[in-house]
Amino acid sequence: MTQTSISRRRSAPANGATRPSPHPRRHLPPSAFLIHGVLMVFVVIALGPIFMIVMNSLKTQQGIFGGPFDLPNAETFSFDGYFRVFQLGDFGNLYFNSATVTIVTTVLTVGLATIAAFAIVEYKIRLAPVLSAFFIIGIMLPVRLGTVSLLQMMSSWNLVNTTLALILVYTGMSLPLGVALMVTYFRSIPQELKDAARIDGAGEFQTLGVVTPMVRPGLGAVAALTMLPIWNDLWFPLILAPGRSTQTVTLGVQQFMGQYDSDWPALLAALTLGAIPLILLFLVFSKQFIKGLSEGYGK
Amino acid sequence: MKSRIAPLALALATAMIALAGCSGAGSGDQVTLQFESWRPEDAAIWNSKIIPAFEKEHPDIKVQFSPTKATEYDAALKTRFQGGTAGDLITCRSGALNRENIKAGYLEPLKGLAGLSNFDELSQSFWASSEGDPYCVPVASVMAAFFYNKDIFKELNLQVPTTQAEFMSVLQAIKSNGKYVPLALGATPGDAWVLAFMGLYNEGPNYWHGEDGRQGLIDGTKKFTDPEFVEALDSLKSWTPYMPDGRASVTYSDATQLFALGKAAIFPSGSWDITAVTGTSGIDVGVFAPPLPQAGDQLYIQSHPDMGIGINAASKHKKQAQVFLDWVATSEFQTLYANALPGFFGMGKDAVKLDNPLAQAWSDLKTGAQLTPRLGQDILSGGNPDFEVTMENSLQLMMTTDKTAAEVADETQKGLEAWYPPQMK
Amino acid sequence: METRKNNSFHNTAAKYRYLLLFTLPALLFYVVFAVYPLFATFFISVFQTEGGERSFIGLDNYVYLFTDPTQSGQFWHALLNNLEFFAIHLIVQIPVALLMAALITSDAVRRLTGFYRTILFIPATLSVVIVGFIWRMIISPLWGIVGFPLLGTEATALPTLSFMSIWEWIGIPMIFLYTALIAIPKDILEAARVDGASGMRTFWGIKFPLITPQFGLITILTFIWTMNGFDIIYSLMGGAPGPNYSTDILGTFFFRSFFGYNNIIGDADFGAAVATVIFLFILICTAGYFVVLQRRLRPHEL
Repeated sequence: MTQTSISRRRSAPANGATRPSPHPRRHLPPSAFLIHGVLMVFVVIALGPIFMIVMNSLKTQQGIFGGPFDLPNAETFSFDGYFRVFQLGDFGNLYFNSATVTIVTTVLTVGLATIAAFAIVEYKIRLAPVLSAFFIIGIMLPVRLGTVSLLQMMSSWNLVNTTLALILVYTGMSLPLGVALMVTYFRSIPQELKDAARIDGAGEFQTLGVVTPMVRPGLGAVAALTMLPIWNDLWFPLILAPGRSTQTVTLGVQQFMGQYDSDWPALLAALTLGAIPLILLFLVFSKQFIKGLSEGYGK
Repeated sequence: MKSRIAPLALALATAMIALAGCSGAGSGDQVTLQFESWRPEDAAIWNSKIIPAFEKEHPDIKVQFSPTKATEYDAALKTRFQGGTAGDLITCRSGALNRENIKAGYLEPLKGLAGLSNFDELSQSFWASSEGDPYCVPVASVMAAFFYNKDIFKELNLQVPTTQAEFMSVLQAIKSNGKYVPLALGATPGDAWVLAFMGLYNEGPNYWHGEDGRQGLIDGTKKFTDPEFVEALDSLKSWTPYMPDGRASVTYSDATQLFALGKAAIFPSGSWDITAVTGTSGIDVGVFAPPLPQAGDQLYIQSHPDMGIGINAASKHKKQAQVFLDWVATSEFQTLYANALPGFFGMGKDAVKLDNPLAQAWSDLKTGAQLTPRLGQDILSGGNPDFEVTMENSLQLMMTTDKTAAEVADETQKGLEAWYPPQMK
Repeated sequence: METRKNNSFHNTAAKYRYLLLFTLPALLFYVVFAVYPLFATFFISVFQTEGGERSFIGLDNYVYLFTDPTQSGQFWHALLNNLEFFAIHLIVQIPVALLMAALITSDAVRRLTGFYRTILFIPATLSVVIVGFIWRMIISPLWGIVGFPLLGTEATALPTLSFMSIWEWIGIPMIFLYTALIAIPKDILEAARVDGASGMRTFWGIKFPLITPQFGLITILTFIWTMNGFDIIYSLMGGAPGPNYSTDILGTFFFRSFFGYNNIIGDADFGAAVATVIFLFILICTAGYFVVLQRRLRPHEL
């Protein structure tokens, strides 16, 4: 699209000389300096505390409490916390469980929410706003409240202590927000684009295929919003899948914390190990989904 | 992109259903008992010492220790009972919470279990139904008293205090010296229970004469506003100048660390902390009993029935669970348990030999003392507003603001009068 | 318009068919695993359970909630605290998130947009367990950088917890507003540039009006999330959150009623009544918001 040429032009100022500069260069340096300064402050606030956990997990108990803000030195550096955690915990299995639950649920939610939202926006009949409202109400439901019924249901289906139980429940709970969000993104697509696809003879499924790339920002947002609470949820794993083989990372870490109440290096190591994968997963997602959204709009 | 992922997800989901189906199939003769507990910190000991000892004697029964963190235990257990997924063996809290589970029919009555004859009636009563029938085998009681750092005492030339006056002068001496925090005790709201269990219920029984005061509250002949209770509260408030700076945000864990790292001289706490205070930096720790109001007074010590084990009424393996409970009632188990977890004392009739000298020192405190459980648990709990929750809230304010002992007593008493028949006006 | 008439999708029956076909999978998950269990629980709020026997008592649980001095006192107190919890998010989190989104989409940061966006979102990936842990350590009077007991003092405890929650979740409104900002067609902005509008003027004059619907949406979502809030407070302050209940919010009040806490014995029937009231409160406020405000925040036709 035309916007790609703009960005190319901006990165190569020599070409810009043929047209009036869209943004006078001389205004940039002071304001850019300020903007980066403010953002760097935010970055420090966001990362500082996380850095503290990681740093202290590499120290001895005395090192942690002697100076929690000091970098580990020859005397206080220790990897023991990690050894103790690895000795007791099967982290590979915990990661596998969490990843399975998180990824399958996210894919299901994003997929089903997209199809449903497309239909709600597209087929303007009386039922559509009713369905839309029905989903929106779901955002407000206090999810813990249904725990007992859910447990009875899963128990009667023999699904207690399976990751599938978690996937089903999480998908049901993530869908309302997913649908509500996707509806807003589909609404912002110009009608002409969809109509153009239809005139070209596309069926409903193909039309969906044509417009889906245009709602990529929405896909990214829904994926992120679905993923976070699931990875970090403590309650449903505790109730629906507390068994050792189906435990998630968050639940496992919580158990370690109980076990190492006074062994802070091990405790911080467990916290670090519990947090890192989602950060990495997010970095990957960030590239694939959220970065893709700028392409969707031809930035 | 989506269209490529959707079939993948479907395949994954199908695979998982298949997996779930497989894991459900159990083996023929061997039975596995799920064992619910609120102490994940004990997992290593159960898994490596206690359960193997049982399984060696009973190769046809496997026991799987599955703990839930103490703060989530009661809610999670209740939900599992209702959903029909609770384990076969249930670790029982004593008193009101357990009676509630009994009333709801979640626990199997243990009347006639042979092993129970190893416990006296009083020990059994803490886990009995309102009618007095036993529902759990008593496993452990814990005590409250004061840990102290022997090296600091030596360095500052201090004697172990026996009276309140001596206790105050010891604290003052440590404070004047300035090198150490006199009293490792926090008053953060999230850990307000500490102020009750390790504070008031620790030093207070000496003022309200243990069972005398407790039973008086229970049968309505005494009020929490009576002088003996207010004096106990006042004595607790006198600790505040010796607590760490910023005490209103100091947690239980902070206080434990402060003491374990040798930065604090005295740690009012419970026997369950023996491993926590000696484990990290190997300081030399001793213990002393709660100070007496006057020299020569009778000593009262908090000894609280902490843990029992019962059977889920819905268990499919009750017979095997009973075998396990009978084993738990033996002195073999009690010796194993009390030594693996120093500070958790067996409740059986037979004395158990303790290898840990500090645990033995704690146990020795009982000589000549009268024992009493925690004041606010059992009968006084379970109403609305709850006695202990109301009191802890007020205690936290008393220890961090200028709220007085009399006000705490007043608020707590009012709460009790709102629902507890013997105290109603 | 005329050309589309013969297209099959204009037939109402076909529309119904497709609408149902496309929404059915989502509806199935949603109804079976969220709506049904929740309403099954709402249903028990008109019962009471005595020794395993369940009996119908009509609205007695609701009457009890609003007339019992202890319960109603704690309920209103929790509601007010919760509104404060929300207000702090509204005043701090949303403006700061907007600032972040505006800054990272400004022309000055083009190349580092991805970097900032990712980094600022990272705290949202952490579990409450770790967030509570880090911040409690940082503000600990014993080991940390603040001598004052922020969490142990009535006046500061709830704001402190709110700031922890804001720190953790700020990435969400930021990403929200960010995606809205980058979705603005570039030709509109280009026109403004040509007119020589300054960055500030472009933002408030053109960009912000275009994203007001998303701004409104994230505000109401923040309301819903904070009103259903629970985790950070429960993990740091427990189920009867002090000091003196100053950090008790609706979520902790509900949890205490439903599941019990410490020696407080949970009552599922009464707890369900509490949850129903909370749900209705959120529903009415949200509906009111949509009726009164969101309809006016229509995006300018793009």
